[in-house]
Amino acid sequence: MAERFWAWSVLLSVSAGVAWLVHAQGLPAPASHVTPVAPIPEPIDFDRDVRPILEAHCWKCHSTQKHRGDLRLDSRDAVIKGGESGPAAISGRSGESLLIELVSGVDPDRIMPDEGPRLTQPQIDTLAAWIDQGLVWGTEVVVPAAPRYELALKQITVPPASAGSQSSNPIDLIIGSLAQEIDASSVPVSDRLYARRVFYDVIGLPPTPSELETFLGNPAPDKRENLVQRLLADNRRYAEHWLTFWNDCLRNDYAGTGYIDGGREQITQWLFEALYNNMPYDRFVSELVNPPSNASAGFSKGIIWRGVVNASQIPPMQAAQNISQVFLGLNLKCASCHDSFINNWKLSDAYGMAAVFAEEPLEVNRCDRPIGTLAKAGFLYHELGEIQPDAPRADRLRQLSALLIARENGRFTRTIVNRLWARLMGRGIVEPVDEMDNPPWNADLLDFLAADLFDRGYDLKKTLELILTSRAYQMAATPSAEKFESAAPFAGPVVRRLGAEEFVDAVRSLAGIWPDKSDARIKVPGVDGPYPGPIRAGLQVADPLMLALGRPNREQVVTSRPGVATTLQAIELTNGGVLDSILRQGARRWLSEYPAEPRSLVIAIYTRALGRPPTDSELRDAVDLLGPTPGTAAVQDLLWAITMLPEFQLIS
Amino acid sequence: MPDPNWNRRDFLKTASAATLAALSAGAARRLPGFEPEPDTQPEKITPTADTLIVLWMAGGMPHTDTFDPKRHMPFEVGMDPARLASTFPTIDTAVDNIKFTAGLEKIAAVMDRGALIRSYTAADLGFILHSRHQYHWHTGYEPPQTVAAPHIGAVIARTLGPRDPVMPAFIDIGQTFDNGEGQELRAFHQAGFLGSEYGPFLLPYPNQAAEAIRPPAGMSIDRFQNRYKAYRKLIEATPIGQHGSEYQHDSLTRSLDNAHRLLSSPAAKAFDLSLEPKASYDIYNTGRFGQGCLLARRLTEVGARFIEVTTEYVPFLHWDTHDNGHTRLVDLKKQIDAPIAQLVRDLEERGLLDRTLIVLASEFSRDAMVEGKADQKVQDQVDVPPTLTEMKHYGLHRHFTGAGSVLLFGGGVRKGMPYGKTADERPCTTIENPVTIENLHATMYRAMGISPKLAYEIERRPFYVTKDGTGVPIRELFA
Repeated sequence: MAERFWAWSVLLSVSAGVAWLVHAQGLPAPASHVTPVAPIPEPIDFDRDVRPILEAHCWKCHSTQKHRGDLRLDSRDAVIKGGESGPAAISGRSGESLLIELVSGVDPDRIMPDEGPRLTQPQIDTLAAWIDQGLVWGTEVVVPAAPRYELALKQITVPPASAGSQSSNPIDLIIGSLAQEIDASSVPVSDRLYARRVFYDVIGLPPTPSELETFLGNPAPDKRENLVQRLLADNRRYAEHWLTFWNDCLRNDYAGTGYIDGGREQITQWLFEALYNNMPYDRFVSELVNPPSNASAGFSKGIIWRGVVNASQIPPMQAAQNISQVFLGLNLKCASCHDSFINNWKLSDAYGMAAVFAEEPLEVNRCDRPIGTLAKAGFLYHELGEIQPDAPRADRLRQLSALLIARENGRFTRTIVNRLWARLMGRGIVEPVDEMDNPPWNADLLDFLAADLFDRGYDLKKTLELILTSRAYQMAATPSAEKFESAAPFAGPVVRRLGAEEFVDAVRSLAGIWPDKSDARIKVPGVDGPYPGPIRAGLQVADPLMLALGRPNREQVVTSRPGVATTLQAIELTNGGVLDSILRQGARRWLSEYPAEPRSLVIAIYTRALGRPPTDSELRDAVDLLGPTPGTAAVQDLLWAITMLPEFQLIS
Repeated sequence: MPDPNWNRRDFLKTASAATLAALSAGAARRLPGFEPEPDTQPEKITPTADTLIVLWMAGGMPHTDTFDPKRHMPFEVGMDPARLASTFPTIDTAVDNIKFTAGLEKIAAVMDRGALIRSYTAADLGFILHSRHQYHWHTGYEPPQTVAAPHIGAVIARTLGPRDPVMPAFIDIGQTFDNGEGQELRAFHQAGFLGSEYGPFLLPYPNQAAEAIRPPAGMSIDRFQNRYKAYRKLIEATPIGQHGSEYQHDSLTRSLDNAHRLLSSPAAKAFDLSLEPKASYDIYNTGRFGQGCLLARRLTEVGARFIEVTTEYVPFLHWDTHDNGHTRLVDLKKQIDAPIAQLVRDLEERGLLDRTLIVLASEFSRDAMVEGKADQKVQDQVDVPPTLTEMKHYGLHRHFTGAGSVLLFGGGVRKGMPYGKTADERPCTTIENPVTIENLHATMYRAMGISPKLAYEIERRPFYVTKDGTGVPIRELFA
């Protein structure tokens, strides 16, 4: 039965069909050919149509808290089961359903609800149609919503370093006070491993043999701190690496949906410069939310799709969702359609944020249907202050960006320090990183880092430096888990796999082969002419290799990428043209530098690829592969085998 | 070339790779709580098909000029386009109450093996655009979405896995992405939030499909195998402690093992069209689409799960007939008629048709006059002159969502069955049993044993395989 309703209703909604009936009158065709379309009830959408009625009129007495008459109406089973008077509704038979009888007031002595206003006829019709169409229930609550995490930062007093303590880094002191063993017994990783980690994490490339040599040979006790500072000061390579992380978050790309007809704008040059100059994070976000020029406007403008889009995807709502996700670690996606069932955000909250960006009065839609009210601009956390709903758009944007970056908004700083921690440590202090209401595994640490970011003028490099020089970061790596629970204790950084761009750059470094030009149109500050090489993968349009390795289509915000190895990736790595061509050219280059002497060739390649010479058995096996007078093919195959090694692809 | 070191234990390890991948961080979780409710799904869904082949008529296939003939009006200078329903004469099929238009005689002859939906009714997504409607058809969701919606092939790959563990579960044949709307095409040729493990294995050129599972160009099999052996040796030789975690280490090495297993498996031969006997190859060889059908048949024989073969979407080419509709359809029909009929016959002959569902569909249909809402001029719609003066005007050139034909063969579908009805007068709109994308998908999923209410959790909310779980299979179509 239900399928007929669904199907017919679609015919009705396809205006072409209905309009044609009208249109057809003007044509010579005889009208008898036209089969009249019967008026069929609209399909009921539980969340849109039924839930608000039950919520307003029934659940006060018939749900979790109270079940008067032994009746609950908060699940499909409960409705069918009914209460003292029998089933509340019989699927497909509204005429025989008690619920309809009572709300219609057939018997004046038994009218429901017995408190508050009666149901209107359209509401009764809706319930009847819902029953007739099979009592389809709506979205269920999957996981109970976490209570809202406190907004303000706690004042953290860093415990003093104890005698004999290995570290005075506040991160270690805060963690150490809870878990002595981290400070006391863990041995930091070797210089070689540390350098590899830090190089990848700051500039996205492995150290060259000479960079590594210099570091290993340096006797200074503070050489790790110096290395971190030196790498963070390498503005260009830092910007080239972190561009990928921010492109994912801000869904910026050099090709993609929407660009075809101007429905989307890049922010590449602005973003690159902001990273290059280490723009303070408060200004960074202000310029994205309240753009001083067109250069940073693309993020909040969103993607304008051609055709009619769902109300929850209009550009102002995209801005509301993406700004909330990226900068506040909260999910407004559900609430942009209806009051959320997974968190505490309401439809009005989402529309409040969207209305800040709207150029014109914004009509509130529930599940893509207008509900007859206009959205009132407002910020999510009213305790921080209000946005004047009637102020001009420019003022509203200014007010919003001020509220976002306010010191009192601990959520803002917590979210970004948690993202940076997750990048470097492989898991966040709060997990998932986009659900900042979840409990952190160490609340003091999170609030310390957040306050520290504020105190140091929103300098993200300072936060990175603090983490990278902590003992916690220098601990031996722990295995990656299938999924991290937010509250699981910290046991060291997680082994992570190189991302698509990092892998391609690592292979190109080993091969010494780089692209000719950048797809990202970037002008490096102080450099005239085309982009100076080497051209990193993050500046290229995604190729089949990068796509296979998980570089996302940047249509949605992406804040973390899965690191799992898949068969489709492996096929691309095994026979794909991109990798094959890089390695073939690389083999030629290696041979031109180390002509035909297998042993020194193997040693040099291993040192370049892994930052260490081969062991005896590796040397033997590799020389076997090369043969006495290696040609391009043999060298290429050795390069391939090495780049496939877990040691090459994983950072441990 | 079977790997000599390949044994049964490895095989079991391989089989668990998908499970491992599914458990990885960020992967979507199947929600047991969102299985079909006993009350709304009284029958347990027993699959009637193991493989699904989608034959994609990319660009908008006009129903009245293909599988749903109306009054034929031959070209005459001065004719009124508002009266133009079919530009081809009607022909008989193997089923009494199903007629086609001329040029589809071979498919007509096998119509008794399948069912015809005449009443597919595409959604109205604002002004009618190929990329948006193709996205909608292939994911069941209107773009854009707040999470990346997976292609139906990815849903099937995720839910059912490969039939043969070495074969990619989702194979896409015939589409390239370097045309003007390549990015828009990429937007739905993906596994979305399900994770790239379930994404499409792309074979844009069927004649070169073998290269996709062959060593890189110029590398001999011997060299290829030596390279892999060397890699295995170097892994063994890597000092302990350099491996990373066992889980990640295993996942890397296992994925490479799988790739090598596919490349050296007997199944790999199926990708190589040059191994097809010439007589048979010639029947299929009407162009890339025909070759794609042949490839689909060969892959079905060795255990493919989901295959899509497209005539390829390129703006204004193939089925995207903004002009010369009639003339171009003559050629298009030549491309599809023989290979599709042969695909049906070959699968039948091999005893595979009963367990293989073939679905031929398009994102929307075409009409001579109506585009979108009949009373409203749509941006960029084709100019139709008041009277037709030239042959190039003769055809159905506007994007029409009010009706559309879908062919289904095999896979438990009732044989010789017409479903739904369209009006006899232009624009020949659906007048009986309209079929939405939700219900069409539910029907395809049902054949594959998947509930339309199956959901995967993403960002803590359920994402249903048909929009909000509303799809209802068309029961009449099942035998």
